[in-house]
Amino acid sequence: MTGPHGVGIGWRPEIAGFVAELPGLRFVEVIAESVPAAGPPPDALVELRQRGVTVVPHGVRLSLGGAEPVEPARVAHLAAVAELVAAPLVSEHIAFVRAGGLEAGHLLPLPRTREAVDVVCANVARAQADLPVPIALEPIAALFDWPDDELDEAAFLSEILARTDALLLLDIANVHANAVNRGTDPLALLDRLPLERVAYVHVAGGAEQGGFYHDTHTDPVPAPVLDLLTELCERHRPPAVLLERDGRYPPAPDLRAELDAVAAATGFPLVT
Amino acid sequence: MSASPADGTDPTGDRPATPDIHRPPSGSLAARQAELVAALVAGGPPPPGFAPAPLAAARAALLRKRAGEVARHWPLLAAGLAPHWPATFIEWAADRPSVGGLRDGWDLARALHARHALPALGAEELAVREAAYRYDGDAAPRRRRRPAVGRAGGAVAVQLAGRVRLLRTAR
Repeated sequence: MTGPHGVGIGWRPEIAGFVAELPGLRFVEVIAESVPAAGPPPDALVELRQRGVTVVPHGVRLSLGGAEPVEPARVAHLAAVAELVAAPLVSEHIAFVRAGGLEAGHLLPLPRTREAVDVVCANVARAQADLPVPIALEPIAALFDWPDDELDEAAFLSEILARTDALLLLDIANVHANAVNRGTDPLALLDRLPLERVAYVHVAGGAEQGGFYHDTHTDPVPAPVLDLLTELCERHRPPAVLLERDGRYPPAPDLRAELDAVAAATGFPLVT
Repeated sequence: MSASPADGTDPTGDRPATPDIHRPPSGSLAARQAELVAALVAGGPPPPGFAPAPLAAARAALLRKRAGEVARHWPLLAAGLAPHWPATFIEWAADRPSVGGLRDGWDLARALHARHALPALGAEELAVREAAYRYDGDAAPRRRRRPAVGRAGGAVAVQLAGRVRLLRTAR
């Protein structure tokens, strides 16, 4: 089983037919929590596997940044899905999604403090102990920051990666979103991240609303995000890049054009 | 509605830690994460030090995302309320933590029904659901094993051997 390579797309049931007909596709992600641990995976995903398409389980509910220890049952589920699809790696976020018995319903940012670095590293170590494959960690798009940040984004992420031996899942749309919303330079962040640790890259659409850039996954990928993807590849081209779309699915020609734009921005072969 | 102490939150945030095994020490990361989530999804007070505008934007984005999830479970309810969906959902949900898209929509449909504000499409969807599932408003809905009738706003649905039919549309 090879690692992710080339241009991929986030597999979702709503676009399973579209994804099945992409002739050059070699890489998809599946939301880990959407696959039952006892299997079987959705038929369309099994057919992609039989074609030799790499399937990476992408977790969204592990809450690796939660102050409480990561729940072993959630790690066991992610591990089971990795086995079911013979995944070469899994991915999750540097974020928390619940606290005090309440679900946030989305990925929330951590304070960029030494304490939070310790929390994440401890949870990643717990997860790694029970996962059959390596894990890649994805920094999120945050609409707000905590008031007591001690580290900047690059230092925070580099410290976590150095201490956990995890791979990096770099979401270039999140880099764009955070730079816009914080008024920082996205290229300065790229220059300081360990790009050789990138397992693959996410790219997704978003939109401005109420003075903030929202990483919606339901809008087209804007030109500045594609430009940033090209800037990334000029520094160090990652092995793979994956388009995420999570609703308001456009007509197939529009989605194909978006995959082609991602291929053009990265120099990877067309998959359409 | 604010989070109860049983949720591990301490809305004041800056009191000294109390010896309570159910509550993380005030000021700890666990307590501060709990305060933040309560502020975002349960109408809790904004935690000290956070810039208000970005936090409000995050809260609004979470509610919009929830509205989309509920609409996927309750497409007729959402369509019946258009163009006031998602505003209707967001107003209702602002201080109610999510219990999942299915139950959130169910609770909203019942609340609208109780104040005679449920649109016909939503009433028909609710009647069909009530006929098919037993839902006590607390735990996950369970499929009914016995024949049942569901009613909402004039709509009547009947379930026999697991098959549900809408007998009468809503007025």
